[in-house]
Amino acid sequence: MNAPERTASFLLDEDSGEVKIVYSDDTKVTNAGTFRFNKEDHTIGNLFRMQLLRDPSVRFAGYLHPHPLVYYINLKIQTNNSTVAPVEVLSSAIEDLANETDHLITQFQEATDNWKRENDTEGQF
Amino acid sequence: MPHQRFPKVQILQMAPHEMRFILSETDTSVANTLRRIMIAEVPTLAIDLVEFHENSSVLNDEYIAHRLGLIPIRYQPVDSLKGGDCNGAFLPHRECVCYERCPRCSVEFELDVTFDDANTFRSEEELMAPLTITSKDLKSNNDTVAPAHFLSQDEQDESQDAGVAIVKIGPGQRLKLKAIARMGIAKEHSKWCPVAIATYRFWPNITINEEQIATLSMEQKQEIIDVCPDRILEIDNVTGSIKAHDDAWDMCTYTEDLQEFQQTMKKRKEDDDFVTVEASEDRFIFTVESTGVMDAEEIVMSGLRVLKDRLNFLAQEVENLKDM
Ligand SMILES: [Zn+2]
Repeated sequence: MNAPERTASFLLDEDSGEVKIVYSDDTKVTNAGTFRFNKEDHTIGNLFRMQLLRDPSVRFAGYLHPHPLVYYINLKIQTNNSTVAPVEVLSSAIEDLANETDHLITQFQEATDNWKRENDTEGQF
Repeated sequence: MPHQRFPKVQILQMAPHEMRFILSETDTSVANTLRRIMIAEVPTLAIDLVEFHENSSVLNDEYIAHRLGLIPIRYQPVDSLKGGDCNGAFLPHRECVCYERCPRCSVEFELDVTFDDANTFRSEEELMAPLTITSKDLKSNNDTVAPAHFLSQDEQDESQDAGVAIVKIGPGQRLKLKAIARMGIAKEHSKWCPVAIATYRFWPNITINEEQIATLSMEQKQEIIDVCPDRILEIDNVTGSIKAHDDAWDMCTYTEDLQEFQQTMKKRKEDDDFVTVEASEDRFIFTVESTGVMDAEEIVMSGLRVLKDRLNFLAQEVENLKDM
């Protein structure tokens, strides 16, 4: 009776007006803010953090997944000057990752095709 | 896109049920994301709803429903020998526009086994022995979808079993049900997990300090080689020095002994190590083993596509944030 919804970990609760990302500016630190990603976990959290840290205009990037049964992450970003907003660096980090994934898809496809050509696997695939 | 990486993939070994490959020129966060997605977010089919019409077996309805859920359900596209990616071929049932269910979002299986009917076709010695109902008794309403029993036809031919055992029934007993398979992900229930194994390990960077090695006697070199339990080192017959075995990257697991032991050989404490083994930060050896629902390569590919879709979705959401 008090069991959580089976979908609670991955499906946005749109009935209660849950949105994917909520942003709030940091009240004490300049050029900083926290993104709350609903229904995300370490999979995306650590990926974004590491990609953000490759950007020289990012001073701080860290994420927090409060508890395995809490289905959101907080990603905190601070940039090193006021001309670049946290949302800008996040946006370019995601773009880089999307391009990397695209590249990976082609690489993987080519690698498997080549492997099949080189290793006679007639009938196996 | 100033900070994009261009990772490389090299296949080591590939079979329908298992594959190994090297992912390089990227970092752990990408490797781990891929691993986590293959385990928890690649969509597959699994039985999710069961209607019991008659169950006079010894197991209760819920028990049987649970067992049915765990049977790997394979989607094999027309004209393909592959266990394919069902993502795209089917819709998640929550996204489908149909009222309850339709062929776009679900597959129906019928099962009806009566002991007394089946018993008449059995051989003399088997007569009256308990009858095992297996996944083979599930009749699908979709030609491209069936329970995965064996990895290959060969394996099936050699096997004594008919499929995945569900329940045993005796005289007078019957099991009749309709099972509905839907597409889902392992975040909801692990029955949707396509992998038995999805791991990566770090490529070992083995560095040999030739200058230091040259100060050792042949016996001492042999001692260093012998102390490594994985035997990743060997004598280089040409130079008389130590070299890493050609397959050292694959054999290498535990290097603490090697690390500890060589300290005792140093003339001075501050001397450099003879051999160092470090985990690479940008090269990973992946192993992916399928449960049978889809081919290993399809799992990786599907995982990458799931990641791509997620990133596109999040990019859009971040764009929307900018406009606010
Ligand atoms: Zn439907």
